[in-house]
Amino acid sequence: MWRLPPPFISCMHCVSGRVVWGGPGRVPALLRPLPAGLTCVFASGKKDLTNFPVLNEDELEEQFVRGSGPGGQATNKTSNCVVLKHIPSGTVVKCHQTRSVDTNRKRAREIMREKLDVVYKGELSEVLVKKKASELRKQDKRRKANENLERKRLFREALAADPKPGNGTA
Amino acid sequence: MWRISLCAGYRSFECRIVGIKGLWGSRVVRTCSTPAIPTGRITALQAVDLWKNHFAERGVMEPDHSSRHIIAYLLGAKTIESLERRKLTEFLSPEITEQMWSLCSRRLSRMPVQYVIEEWDFRDLTLKMRPPVFIPRSETEELVELVLTDLEMRPGPGAGVEAPHTCLEVGCGSGAISLSLLKSLPQLKVTALDQSQDAVDLTGENAIRLGLQDRLQVYHLDVIKDADTVLSLCHHVSTLVSNPPYLFSEDMNTLEPEIFRFEDHAALDGGTDGLKVIKQILTLAPQILSNHGRVYLEVDPRHPPLIRRWVEANVQEMCYEETRHDASGRPRFCILRRVKSNKDHKLDLD
Repeated sequence: MWRLPPPFISCMHCVSGRVVWGGPGRVPALLRPLPAGLTCVFASGKKDLTNFPVLNEDELEEQFVRGSGPGGQATNKTSNCVVLKHIPSGTVVKCHQTRSVDTNRKRAREIMREKLDVVYKGELSEVLVKKKASELRKQDKRRKANENLERKRLFREALAADPKPGNGTA
Repeated sequence: MWRISLCAGYRSFECRIVGIKGLWGSRVVRTCSTPAIPTGRITALQAVDLWKNHFAERGVMEPDHSSRHIIAYLLGAKTIESLERRKLTEFLSPEITEQMWSLCSRRLSRMPVQYVIEEWDFRDLTLKMRPPVFIPRSETEELVELVLTDLEMRPGPGAGVEAPHTCLEVGCGSGAISLSLLKSLPQLKVTALDQSQDAVDLTGENAIRLGLQDRLQVYHLDVIKDADTVLSLCHHVSTLVSNPPYLFSEDMNTLEPEIFRFEDHAALDGGTDGLKVIKQILTLAPQILSNHGRVYLEVDPRHPPLIRRWVEANVQEMCYEETRHDASGRPRFCILRRVKSNKDHKLDLD
């Protein structure tokens, strides 16, 4: 059963795939303005490999076993696996590295940031690769068109210089 | 250390093992209450599987997690996931096998895993556990996070910015909250109380194990019966934190056997409305806290509005600031602040 972690910041316009670049911090990231465009960031050349995306808690759903009862003192569960889902990208992280739920939640978020870094950079790479491929195809086309023109030109020159026999007078 | 009364069938061959499948085949006739320790050697994974099934058959909660936690502990790890595949698939030594059987047999009696392995983790600490001292819950890790965030932002109560914060914990149990705060804030000093001598002892032991005993004072005191002594010990405290007994008395009977049979009821039962200890803490808080000092409480999800109303009517010097929810979305934490009242002339720290 998925549920959104509270407090739920009411913000209807932010449900699109929004990933903000930034450094680590203890408190979950507050909403920040969207950068001008991810491609701008990428093209700026300031690609810091340790600069993982800051998570927006609104875009995360967390699942761990605490039961449907009141929890707290009334429950003593030792299962502490945390499953974290990034809604916009569908990325899922599962963490049961330690016996502390709090530590697993924090680690799940760290892993999520690393994964999202790949997801978003990976997508950008893909876009660039496609762009590059279409560039190459255009270049190819242009080259072939030029070659054709060149061949035609030479053929015309050859015709002018050396007309076929039977065309002229003796 | 784990001598338990074993039934007559244990280790003898009254458990008739018939059929080619051996110990855990369908032909086993179980005449004793625990599975016989295998004559041949088994791997960790096989032992986990065997005990998982046995726990499940006997209605023991979290059969899979229980056996995994126990084997991990015996193999020197915190979790089974951190063990190499090789370690899990090689044969266990006879000693470890015997220990596995011994500890799992205790779990069969519904003893909580934390008491079976005599330790548990709370945030980044490993704490010793011992019945009947209350086992820290995962929600309380979030309580510590709230307090840390607050203390890191606020300057100390004394003259300079360097003046260290002091903290009072009511009902320290195994010492989880106090020791977590001390570990994270090297300048902090903490006073901890508990009405249980067992808890006072265990907190002290854990403090020494973690090297934090120099900044911690632990007292065997009941915040209700020994109120005067408590007040004489604590002055100008920055933060009062507590995970007090907050269950409603009527809910005590529906507790799972792990809790009901093994944990200190005095650490759980908060009276008819679960507010008995909470009210006393809030009554004493104005005299304990420095001005603008805060109280952080973990409570039952039904409590926040009740506490707010009660404080507004009965404790003028405390202002109800905020209710925070736990990771499961339940109202769980109450934050209150000490404010100056008209009657208050003693504290004038600003």
